[in-house]
Amino acid sequence: MRLENVWLRYHRRGSWVLRGADAELGAGEVAVVLGRNGVGKSTLLQVAAGVIRPGRGRVTGRPARVGWVPERFPADQPFTVAHYLTAMGRMAGLPPSEAGRAVDTWVERLGLARFRGVRLPELSKGTAQKVGLAQAMLRRPGLLVLDEPWEGLDATARELVPELVDEVLTAGGSVLVSDHRGEVARLPGARRWTVADGLVTEEAPSGGAGFAVVEVEVAAARVAGTVARLRAEGHRVLGVRPGGEPPDDPVPPDGGRPDVREPVPGARPADPADEVVR
Amino acid sequence: MTALLRLRLAGFLRTGRAVAPLLAGLVVLGTLYGGGRAQAGEAYGVSAVVLFPVLAWQTKVLLDAEPDGQRRLAQVTVGARRERIAGLLAAVVAALGTVAVALVFPWLVGGVTGPVEPGDRSIAVGLLLGLWAHLLAVPPAVLLGALASRACTGSAGYGVAVLALGGVGAVVLGLSGSAVPWLAPPIMATARATAGALPATTAALLTVWAMAWSAVALAGYVWWRRSRM
Repeated sequence: MRLENVWLRYHRRGSWVLRGADAELGAGEVAVVLGRNGVGKSTLLQVAAGVIRPGRGRVTGRPARVGWVPERFPADQPFTVAHYLTAMGRMAGLPPSEAGRAVDTWVERLGLARFRGVRLPELSKGTAQKVGLAQAMLRRPGLLVLDEPWEGLDATARELVPELVDEVLTAGGSVLVSDHRGEVARLPGARRWTVADGLVTEEAPSGGAGFAVVEVEVAAARVAGTVARLRAEGHRVLGVRPGGEPPDDPVPPDGGRPDVREPVPGARPADPADEVVR
Repeated sequence: MTALLRLRLAGFLRTGRAVAPLLAGLVVLGTLYGGGRAQAGEAYGVSAVVLFPVLAWQTKVLLDAEPDGQRRLAQVTVGARRERIAGLLAAVVAALGTVAVALVFPWLVGGVTGPVEPGDRSIAVGLLLGLWAHLLAVPPAVLLGALASRACTGSAGYGVAVLALGGVGAVVLGLSGSAVPWLAPPIMATARATAGALPATTAALLTVWAMAWSAVALAGYVWWRRSRM
Protein backbone atom coordinates (compact mmCIF):
# COMPACT_ATOMS: atom_id res chain seq x y z
CA MET A 1 0.00 0.00 0.00
CA ARG A 2 1.25 3.44 -0.87
CA LEU A 3 0.23 6.93 0.19
CA GLU A 4 1.22 9.35 -2.55
CA ASN A 5 1.39 13.09 -1.90
CA VAL A 6 -1.55 12.96 0.49
CA TRP A 7 -3.01 16.32 1.54
CA LEU A 8 -5.89 16.52 3.96
CA ARG A 9 -7.79 19.13 5.91
CA TYR A 10 -11.09 18.74 7.70
CA HIS A 11 -12.68 22.03 6.66
CA ARG A 12 -12.59 23.97 3.42
CA ARG A 13 -10.79 26.89 5.03
CA GLY A 14 -9.05 24.90 7.75
CA SER A 15 -5.33 24.28 7.98
CA TRP A 16 -3.86 21.23 6.33
CA VAL A 17 -3.30 18.30 8.70
CA LEU A 18 -1.36 16.33 6.10
CA ARG A 19 0.73 18.25 3.56
CA GLY A 20 1.96 16.00 0.84
CA ALA A 21 2.57 12.93 3.00
CA ASP A 22 4.25 10.00 1.26
CA ALA A 23 4.63 6.54 2.75
CA GLU A 24 4.76 2.96 1.60
CA LEU A 25 4.06 -0.24 3.48
CA GLY A 26 4.77 -3.60 1.92
CA ALA A 27 3.19 -6.97 2.54
CA GLY A 28 4.47 -8.55 5.75
CA GLU A 29 5.54 -5.19 7.17
CA VAL A 30 4.44 -3.33 10.27
CA ALA A 31 4.90 0.39 10.83
CA VAL A 32 4.37 2.30 14.05
CA VAL A 33 3.17 5.87 13.60
CA LEU A 34 4.65 8.22 16.19
CA GLY A 35 4.20 11.91 16.86
CA ARG A 36 2.87 14.49 19.28
CA ASN A 37 -0.80 14.72 20.20
CA GLY A 38 -2.90 16.33 17.48
CA VAL A 39 -0.18 16.06 14.86
CA GLY A 40 -2.27 13.86 12.54
CA LYS A 41 -1.44 10.28 13.48
CA SER A 42 -5.08 9.17 13.59
CA THR A 43 -5.78 11.13 10.41
CA LEU A 44 -2.97 9.31 8.61
CA LEU A 45 -4.28 5.97 9.85
CA GLN A 46 -7.81 6.77 8.74
CA VAL A 47 -6.59 7.79 5.30
CA ALA A 48 -4.71 4.50 5.08
CA ALA A 49 -7.76 2.51 6.22
CA GLY A 50 -10.06 4.27 3.75
CA VAL A 51 -12.16 6.02 6.39
CA ILE A 52 -11.16 9.45 5.05
CA ARG A 53 -10.54 10.37 1.43
CA PRO A 54 -7.53 12.62 0.93
CA GLY A 55 -8.25 16.12 -0.37
CA ARG A 56 -5.33 15.74 -2.77
CA GLY A 57 -3.08 12.81 -3.58
CA ARG A 58 -4.09 9.18 -3.48
CA VAL A 59 -3.77 5.86 -1.73
CA THR A 60 -2.91 2.92 -3.97
CA GLY A 61 -2.57 -0.78 -3.37
CA ARG A 62 -4.86 -0.88 -0.34
CA PRO A 63 -5.80 -4.53 0.30
CA ALA A 64 -9.44 -5.47 -0.23
CA ARG A 65 -9.93 -6.48 3.38
CA VAL A 66 -9.07 -3.81 5.91
CA GLY A 67 -9.47 -4.17 9.67
CA TRP A 68 -9.62 -0.86 11.51
CA VAL A 69 -9.58 -0.47 15.28
CA PRO A 70 -10.49 3.13 16.10
CA GLU A 71 -9.00 4.85 19.11
CA ARG A 72 -12.44 4.96 20.74
CA PHE A 73 -14.73 2.05 20.05
CA PRO A 74 -18.31 3.28 19.35
CA ALA A 75 -19.95 1.48 22.28
CA ASP A 76 -23.17 3.50 22.25
CA GLN A 77 -25.11 0.81 20.40
CA PRO A 78 -28.04 -1.31 21.62
CA PHE A 79 -26.48 -4.69 20.85
CA THR A 80 -24.88 -7.41 22.91
CA VAL A 81 -21.25 -8.30 22.24
CA ALA A 82 -22.21 -11.54 20.49
CA HIS A 83 -24.91 -9.91 18.32
CA TYR A 84 -22.63 -7.06 17.32
CA LEU A 85 -19.65 -9.24 16.46
CA THR A 86 -21.79 -11.69 14.51
CA ALA A 87 -23.27 -8.82 12.52
CA MET A 88 -19.80 -7.42 11.85
CA GLY A 89 -18.62 -10.85 10.73
CA ARG A 90 -21.54 -11.11 8.33
CA MET A 91 -20.81 -7.58 7.08
CA ALA A 92 -17.23 -8.66 6.44
CA GLY A 93 -18.61 -11.32 4.11
CA LEU A 94 -18.47 -14.40 6.33
CA PRO A 95 -21.28 -16.96 5.91
CA PRO A 96 -23.44 -17.38 9.05
CA SER A 97 -21.70 -20.54 10.30
CA GLU A 98 -18.21 -19.12 9.76
CA ALA A 99 -19.20 -15.83 11.38
CA GLY A 100 -20.39 -17.77 14.43
CA ARG A 101 -17.14 -19.73 14.60
CA ALA A 102 -15.03 -16.60 14.17
CA VAL A 103 -16.96 -14.85 16.95
CA ASP A 104 -16.47 -17.86 19.27
CA THR A 105 -12.73 -17.90 18.52
CA TRP A 106 -12.14 -14.20 19.10
CA VAL A 107 -14.41 -13.92 22.08
CA GLU A 108 -12.40 -16.71 23.68
CA ARG A 109 -8.98 -15.34 22.72
CA LEU A 110 -9.73 -11.84 23.92
CA GLY A 111 -11.29 -12.96 27.19
CA LEU A 112 -14.75 -11.73 26.23
CA ALA A 113 -16.60 -15.00 26.95
CA ARG A 114 -18.37 -13.71 30.04
CA PHE A 115 -19.40 -10.55 28.21
CA ARG A 116 -21.07 -12.29 25.26
CA GLY A 117 -24.56 -11.35 26.39
CA VAL A 118 -23.64 -7.93 27.77
CA ARG A 119 -24.83 -4.87 25.89
CA LEU A 120 -22.07 -2.69 24.44
CA PRO A 121 -22.85 0.48 26.45
CA GLU A 122 -22.40 -1.50 29.68
CA LEU A 123 -18.82 -2.52 28.86
CA SER A 124 -15.80 -0.88 30.44
CA LYS A 125 -13.52 1.10 28.12
CA GLY A 126 -10.95 -1.70 27.98
CA THR A 127 -13.52 -4.40 27.28
CA ALA A 128 -15.12 -2.28 24.57
CA GLN A 129 -11.65 -1.85 23.07
CA LYS A 130 -11.33 -5.64 22.96
CA VAL A 131 -14.60 -5.81 21.03
CA GLY A 132 -13.05 -3.29 18.65
CA LEU A 133 -10.04 -5.56 18.20
CA ALA A 134 -12.26 -8.60 17.69
CA GLN A 135 -14.38 -6.99 14.96
CA ALA A 136 -11.24 -6.10 13.02
CA MET A 137 -9.90 -9.67 13.20
CA LEU A 138 -13.08 -11.67 12.49
CA ARG A 139 -12.01 -12.03 8.89
CA ARG A 140 -8.23 -11.83 8.70
CA PRO A 141 -7.44 -8.44 7.15
CA GLY A 142 -4.88 -7.75 4.46
CA LEU A 143 -4.27 -4.43 6.20
CA LEU A 144 -4.78 -4.03 9.94
CA VAL A 145 -4.91 -0.45 11.17
CA LEU A 146 -4.69 -0.06 14.95
CA ASP A 147 -5.21 3.39 16.42
CA GLU A 148 -3.70 3.36 19.92
CA PRO A 149 -4.64 -0.31 20.39
CA TRP A 150 -3.12 -0.56 23.87
CA GLU A 151 -5.30 2.22 25.26
CA GLY A 152 -7.38 0.92 28.16
CA LEU A 153 -6.32 -2.72 27.76
CA ASP A 154 -5.25 -4.82 30.72
CA ALA A 155 -1.78 -6.39 30.88
CA THR A 156 -2.91 -9.71 29.37
CA ALA A 157 -4.70 -8.09 26.47
CA ARG A 158 -1.74 -5.77 25.82
CA GLU A 159 0.41 -8.85 25.31
CA LEU A 160 -2.12 -10.10 22.77
CA VAL A 161 -1.74 -7.13 20.40
CA PRO A 162 1.73 -8.18 19.16
CA GLU A 163 0.32 -11.70 18.64
CA LEU A 164 -2.45 -10.35 16.42
CA VAL A 165 0.05 -8.22 14.53
CA ASP A 166 2.27 -11.24 14.02
CA GLU A 167 -0.63 -13.33 12.71
CA VAL A 168 -1.55 -10.71 10.12
CA LEU A 169 2.09 -10.34 9.05
CA THR A 170 2.58 -14.09 8.84
CA ALA A 171 -0.43 -14.32 6.54
CA GLY A 172 1.21 -11.73 4.26
CA GLY A 173 -0.73 -8.74 5.49
CA SER A 174 0.45 -5.31 6.63
CA VAL A 175 -0.10 -3.54 9.91
CA LEU A 176 -0.15 0.15 10.78
CA VAL A 177 -0.17 1.09 14.46
CA SER A 178 -0.20 4.43 16.22
CA ASP A 179 1.35 4.72 19.64
CA HIS A 180 1.96 7.50 22.10
CA ARG A 181 2.46 5.35 25.20
CA GLY A 182 5.83 3.89 24.32
CA GLU A 183 4.29 0.48 23.72
CA VAL A 184 6.18 0.33 20.43
CA ALA A 185 8.78 -1.79 22.29
CA ARG A 186 6.29 -4.64 21.98
CA LEU A 187 6.76 -4.57 18.20
CA PRO A 188 10.53 -4.82 17.83
CA GLY A 189 10.40 -5.45 14.10
CA ALA A 190 8.32 -2.41 13.30
CA ARG A 191 9.31 0.44 11.03
CA ARG A 192 8.90 3.82 12.69
CA TRP A 193 7.06 6.58 10.92
CA THR A 194 6.99 9.99 12.53
CA VAL A 195 4.26 12.47 11.65
CA ALA A 196 5.27 16.12 12.00
CA ASP A 197 4.29 19.26 10.11
CA GLY A 198 1.93 17.26 7.93
CA LEU A 199 4.67 15.02 6.62
CA VAL A 200 5.66 11.43 7.32
CA THR A 201 9.32 10.67 7.88
CA GLU A 202 10.82 7.30 8.58
CA GLU A 203 13.60 6.74 11.06
CA ALA A 204 16.56 5.10 9.38
CA PRO A 205 17.38 1.66 10.75
CA SER A 206 20.28 1.74 13.23
CA GLY A 207 23.20 -0.69 13.39
CA GLY A 208 22.32 -4.22 14.39
CA ALA A 209 18.97 -3.85 12.74
CA GLY A 210 16.95 -6.89 11.94
CA PHE A 211 17.33 -8.80 15.18
CA ALA A 212 15.72 -8.87 18.58
CA VAL A 213 16.47 -10.96 21.64
CA VAL A 214 13.64 -13.07 23.05
CA GLU A 215 14.12 -14.73 26.43
CA VAL A 216 12.15 -17.94 26.72
CA GLU A 217 11.61 -20.11 29.78
CA VAL A 218 11.17 -23.85 29.12
CA ALA A 219 11.03 -26.95 31.32
CA ALA A 220 14.56 -28.30 31.96
CA ALA A 221 13.70 -31.64 30.39
CA ARG A 222 12.70 -29.95 27.13
CA VAL A 223 15.70 -27.64 26.73
CA ALA A 224 17.56 -29.77 24.18
CA GLY A 225 14.47 -30.30 22.04
CA THR A 226 13.50 -26.65 22.19
CA VAL A 227 16.99 -25.49 21.23
CA ALA A 228 17.04 -27.91 18.32
CA ARG A 229 13.63 -26.79 17.15
CA LEU A 230 14.52 -23.11 17.37
CA ARG A 231 17.69 -23.70 15.37
CA ALA A 232 15.73 -25.70 12.82
CA GLU A 233 13.41 -22.73 12.43
CA GLY A 234 16.35 -20.49 11.61
CA HIS A 235 16.79 -18.76 14.96
CA ARG A 236 20.21 -18.29 16.53
CA VAL A 237 20.35 -19.64 20.08
CA LEU A 238 22.74 -17.44 22.02
CA GLY A 239 22.94 -19.44 25.23
CA VAL A 240 21.20 -21.54 27.83
CA ARG A 241 21.16 -20.69 31.53
CA PRO A 242 20.31 -23.25 34.19
CA GLY A 243 17.07 -22.64 36.08
CA GLY A 244 17.04 -20.46 39.17
CA GLU A 245 19.99 -18.34 38.08
CA PRO A 246 19.05 -14.66 38.12
CA PRO A 247 19.59 -12.71 34.94
CA ASP A 248 22.83 -10.77 34.87
CA ASP A 249 21.56 -7.77 32.95
CA PRO A 250 18.59 -5.45 33.09
CA VAL A 251 16.66 -7.03 30.20
CA PRO A 252 13.36 -8.68 31.23
CA PRO A 253 13.41 -8.74 35.00
CA ASP A 254 11.46 -11.96 35.24
CA GLY A 255 14.47 -13.88 33.97
CA GLY A 256 13.96 -15.98 30.87
CA ARG A 257 16.29 -18.91 30.55
CA PRO A 258 17.53 -19.71 27.05
CA ASP A 259 18.38 -16.58 25.05
CA VAL A 260 17.33 -16.62 21.44
CA ARG A 261 18.23 -14.06 18.84
CA GLU A 262 15.38 -13.99 16.40
CA PRO A 263 15.73 -12.56 12.91
CA VAL A 264 13.02 -10.04 12.09
CA PRO A 265 12.91 -9.05 8.42
CA GLY A 266 13.60 -5.37 7.94
CA ALA A 267 13.49 -4.74 11.66
CA ARG A 268 15.65 -3.25 14.34
CA PRO A 269 15.45 -3.54 18.12
CA ALA A 270 12.99 -1.14 19.68
CA ASP A 271 15.10 -0.60 22.74
CA PRO A 272 18.88 -0.65 23.09
CA ALA A 273 18.44 -3.10 25.93
CA ASP A 274 17.12 -5.63 23.46
CA GLU A 275 20.54 -5.78 21.85
CA VAL A 276 22.23 -7.16 24.94
CA VAL A 277 23.40 -10.68 24.26
CA ARG A 278 24.59 -12.89 27.05
CA MET B 1 -24.74 -5.24 2.77
CA THR B 2 -27.86 -7.09 3.99
CA ALA B 3 -26.18 -7.57 7.37
CA LEU B 4 -25.51 -3.84 7.62
CA LEU B 5 -29.08 -3.03 6.60
CA ARG B 6 -30.42 -5.37 9.30
CA LEU B 7 -28.02 -3.98 11.90
CA ARG B 8 -29.19 -0.45 11.18
CA LEU B 9 -32.86 -1.37 11.32
CA ALA B 10 -32.24 -3.26 14.57
CA GLY B 11 -30.46 -0.24 16.03
CA PHE B 12 -33.33 2.03 14.96
CA LEU B 13 -35.91 -0.21 16.62
CA ARG B 14 -33.98 -1.24 19.74
CA THR B 15 -32.97 2.27 20.73
CA GLY B 16 -36.64 3.24 20.69
CA ARG B 17 -35.91 5.98 18.17
CA ALA B 18 -38.57 4.54 15.86
CA VAL B 19 -41.30 5.49 18.32
CA ALA B 20 -41.25 9.28 17.92
CA PRO B 21 -41.68 9.40 14.11
CA LEU B 22 -44.34 6.69 14.29
CA LEU B 23 -46.27 8.64 16.91
CA ALA B 24 -45.92 11.81 14.85
CA GLY B 25 -47.25 9.93 11.83
CA LEU B 26 -50.24 8.66 13.81
CA VAL B 27 -50.94 12.17 15.11
CA VAL B 28 -50.99 13.75 11.65
CA LEU B 29 -53.08 10.90 10.25
CA GLY B 30 -55.46 11.17 13.19
CA THR B 31 -55.78 14.90 12.60
CA LEU B 32 -56.32 14.34 8.88
CA TYR B 33 -58.99 11.68 9.23
CA GLY B 34 -60.57 13.29 12.30
CA GLY B 35 -61.77 16.14 10.09
CA GLY B 36 -64.23 14.07 8.12
CA ARG B 37 -64.59 11.23 5.65
CA ALA B 38 -63.37 11.27 2.06
CA GLN B 39 -63.08 8.85 -0.78
CA ALA B 40 -59.98 6.66 -0.71
CA GLY B 41 -58.06 8.23 -3.61
CA GLU B 42 -58.46 11.79 -2.37
CA ALA B 43 -57.80 10.86 1.29
CA TYR B 44 -54.64 8.94 0.47
CA GLY B 45 -53.33 11.77 -1.70
CA VAL B 46 -53.48 14.17 1.25
CA SER B 47 -52.13 11.44 3.55
CA ALA B 48 -49.01 11.20 1.36
CA VAL B 49 -48.53 14.97 1.66
CA VAL B 50 -48.75 15.06 5.45
CA LEU B 51 -46.55 11.98 5.77
CA PHE B 52 -43.80 13.42 3.57
CA PRO B 53 -42.03 15.39 6.35
CA VAL B 54 -42.63 12.53 8.80
CA LEU B 55 -40.93 10.03 6.47
CA ALA B 56 -38.03 12.43 5.96
CA TRP B 57 -37.66 12.91 9.72
CA GLN B 58 -37.90 9.15 10.26
CA THR B 59 -35.04 8.65 7.79
CA LYS B 60 -32.88 11.22 9.57
CA VAL B 61 -33.60 9.59 12.93
CA LEU B 62 -32.77 6.13 11.55
CA LEU B 63 -29.49 7.20 9.98
CA ASP B 64 -28.48 9.25 13.03
CA ALA B 65 -29.17 6.35 15.42
CA GLU B 66 -25.81 4.84 14.47
CA PRO B 67 -22.76 6.47 16.10
CA ASP B 68 -20.36 8.17 13.67
CA GLY B 69 -17.61 5.74 14.66
CA GLN B 70 -19.76 2.74 13.77
CA ARG B 71 -20.67 4.29 10.43
CA ARG B 72 -16.95 4.61 9.68
CA LEU B 73 -16.34 1.01 10.76
CA ALA B 74 -19.14 -0.11 8.43
CA GLN B 75 -17.58 1.94 5.64
CA VAL B 76 -14.21 0.21 6.13
CA THR B 77 -15.86 -3.21 6.33
CA VAL B 78 -18.26 -3.08 3.37
CA GLY B 79 -16.92 -0.13 1.38
CA ALA B 80 -18.18 3.46 1.18
CA ARG B 81 -20.65 2.85 -1.64
CA ARG B 82 -22.34 -0.11 -0.01
CA GLU B 83 -22.43 1.67 3.32
CA ARG B 84 -24.45 4.52 1.75
CA ILE B 85 -26.74 2.18 -0.16
CA ALA B 86 -27.42 0.10 2.97
CA GLY B 87 -28.40 3.24 4.89
CA LEU B 88 -30.82 4.38 2.19
CA LEU B 89 -32.33 0.90 1.82
CA ALA B 90 -32.84 0.62 5.58
CA ALA B 91 -34.64 3.96 5.48
CA VAL B 92 -36.81 2.79 2.55
CA VAL B 93 -37.77 -0.37 4.47
CA ALA B 94 -38.72 1.71 7.52
CA ALA B 95 -40.67 4.14 5.31
CA LEU B 96 -42.60 1.29 3.70
CA GLY B 97 -43.62 0.15 7.18
CA THR B 98 -44.99 3.61 7.93
CA VAL B 99 -46.75 3.70 4.55
CA ALA B 100 -48.43 0.38 5.40
CA VAL B 101 -49.69 1.92 8.65
CA ALA B 102 -50.92 4.97 6.73
CA LEU B 103 -52.84 2.79 4.26
CA VAL B 104 -54.55 0.76 7.00
CA PHE B 105 -55.15 3.60 9.47
CA PRO B 106 -58.17 5.31 7.80
CA TRP B 107 -60.06 2.01 7.65
CA LEU B 108 -59.61 1.59 11.40
CA VAL B 109 -61.02 5.02 12.21
CA GLY B 110 -63.65 5.16 9.49
CA GLY B 111 -61.87 7.96 7.65
CA VAL B 112 -62.70 6.79 4.10
CA THR B 113 -65.86 6.05 2.20
CA GLY B 114 -66.65 3.94 -0.81
CA PRO B 115 -68.04 5.40 -4.06
CA VAL B 116 -70.98 7.72 -3.38
CA GLU B 117 -72.12 8.75 -6.84
CA PRO B 118 -72.03 6.99 -10.18
CA GLY B 119 -68.61 7.53 -11.75
CA ASP B 120 -66.77 7.62 -8.42
CA ARG B 121 -63.72 5.40 -8.15
CA SER B 122 -64.12 2.00 -6.57
CA ILE B 123 -62.41 1.27 -3.25
CA ALA B 124 -59.87 -0.99 -4.98
CA VAL B 125 -58.88 1.74 -7.44
CA GLY B 126 -58.74 4.25 -4.59
CA LEU B 127 -56.43 1.91 -2.66
CA LEU B 128 -54.15 1.47 -5.67
CA LEU B 129 -54.03 5.24 -6.20
CA GLY B 130 -53.23 5.68 -2.52
CA LEU B 131 -50.43 3.14 -2.69
CA TRP B 132 -49.04 4.90 -5.76
CA ALA B 133 -49.23 8.34 -4.10
CA HIS B 134 -47.40 7.11 -1.00
CA LEU B 135 -44.78 5.21 -3.01
CA LEU B 136 -44.10 8.38 -5.01
CA ALA B 137 -43.48 10.23 -1.74
CA VAL B 138 -41.08 7.63 -0.28
CA PRO B 139 -37.91 8.16 -2.40
CA PRO B 140 -37.91 12.00 -2.15
CA ALA B 141 -38.71 11.84 1.58
CA VAL B 142 -35.95 9.30 2.25
CA LEU B 143 -33.44 11.38 0.29
CA LEU B 144 -34.46 14.59 2.05
CA GLY B 145 -33.96 12.80 5.39
CA ALA B 146 -30.61 11.43 4.20
CA LEU B 147 -29.48 14.93 3.19
CA ALA B 148 -30.47 16.14 6.68
CA SER B 149 -28.67 13.28 8.45
CA ARG B 150 -25.59 13.90 10.59
CA ALA B 151 -23.35 12.19 8.04
CA CYS B 152 -24.18 15.01 5.61
CA THR B 153 -24.79 18.05 7.77
CA GLY B 154 -22.36 17.31 10.60
CA SER B 155 -24.54 19.05 13.19
CA ALA B 156 -28.02 18.79 14.66
CA GLY B 157 -28.81 22.44 13.84
CA TYR B 158 -28.05 22.19 10.12
CA GLY B 159 -29.88 18.87 10.00
CA VAL B 160 -33.08 20.33 11.42
CA ALA B 161 -32.76 23.32 9.05
CA VAL B 162 -32.45 21.06 6.00
CA LEU B 163 -35.39 18.98 7.17
CA ALA B 164 -37.62 21.98 7.90
CA LEU B 165 -36.76 23.80 4.68
CA GLY B 166 -37.24 20.65 2.63
CA GLY B 167 -40.55 19.74 4.28
CA VAL B 168 -42.04 23.22 4.07
CA GLY B 169 -40.56 23.82 0.61
CA ALA B 170 -42.15 20.64 -0.76
CA VAL B 171 -45.58 21.93 0.27
CA VAL B 172 -45.16 25.65 -0.53
CA LEU B 173 -43.41 25.18 -3.88
CA GLY B 174 -45.96 22.54 -4.79
CA LEU B 175 -48.97 24.85 -4.40
CA SER B 176 -51.01 25.23 -7.59
CA GLY B 177 -49.87 28.82 -8.22
CA SER B 178 -46.17 28.08 -7.70
CA ALA B 179 -43.77 29.54 -10.28
CA VAL B 180 -41.19 26.81 -9.71
CA PRO B 181 -43.12 23.65 -8.82
CA TRP B 182 -40.41 21.46 -10.36
CA LEU B 183 -38.03 22.49 -7.57
CA ALA B 184 -40.06 20.33 -5.18
CA PRO B 185 -41.02 16.66 -5.41
CA PRO B 186 -44.54 16.28 -6.85
CA ILE B 187 -46.37 15.35 -3.67
CA MET B 188 -48.82 18.27 -3.84
CA ALA B 189 -49.40 17.73 -7.55
CA THR B 190 -50.05 14.05 -6.84
CA ALA B 191 -52.58 14.91 -4.12
CA ARG B 192 -54.43 17.19 -6.54
CA ALA B 193 -54.32 14.49 -9.21
CA THR B 194 -55.77 11.78 -6.94
CA ALA B 195 -58.68 14.09 -6.01
CA GLY B 196 -59.83 14.41 -9.62
CA ALA B 197 -59.69 12.58 -12.88
CA LEU B 198 -56.26 11.07 -13.42
CA PRO B 199 -55.26 10.40 -17.03
CA ALA B 200 -52.52 7.83 -17.52
CA THR B 201 -50.22 10.46 -19.04
CA THR B 202 -50.51 12.61 -15.91
CA ALA B 203 -49.75 9.62 -13.70
CA ALA B 204 -46.71 8.78 -15.83
CA LEU B 205 -45.53 12.39 -15.78
CA LEU B 206 -45.84 12.61 -12.02
CA THR B 207 -43.95 9.33 -11.64
CA VAL B 208 -41.14 10.53 -13.90
CA TRP B 209 -41.06 13.86 -12.05
CA ALA B 210 -40.70 12.09 -8.67
CA MET B 211 -37.98 9.81 -10.01
CA ALA B 212 -36.08 12.69 -11.62
CA TRP B 213 -36.25 14.75 -8.41
CA SER B 214 -35.07 11.72 -6.43
CA ALA B 215 -32.22 11.10 -8.89
CA VAL B 216 -30.99 14.69 -8.45
CA ALA B 217 -31.31 14.44 -4.66
CA LEU B 218 -29.46 11.09 -4.71
CA ALA B 219 -26.64 12.60 -6.76
CA GLY B 220 -26.43 15.42 -4.26
CA TYR B 221 -26.37 12.99 -1.36
CA VAL B 222 -23.60 10.88 -2.89
CA TRP B 223 -21.55 13.96 -3.79
CA TRP B 224 -21.98 15.48 -0.33
CA ARG B 225 -21.09 12.24 1.46
CA ARG B 226 -18.01 11.78 -0.71
CA SER B 227 -16.87 15.33 -0.08
CA ARG B 228 -17.28 14.88 3.68
CA MET B 229 -15.48 11.51 3.77
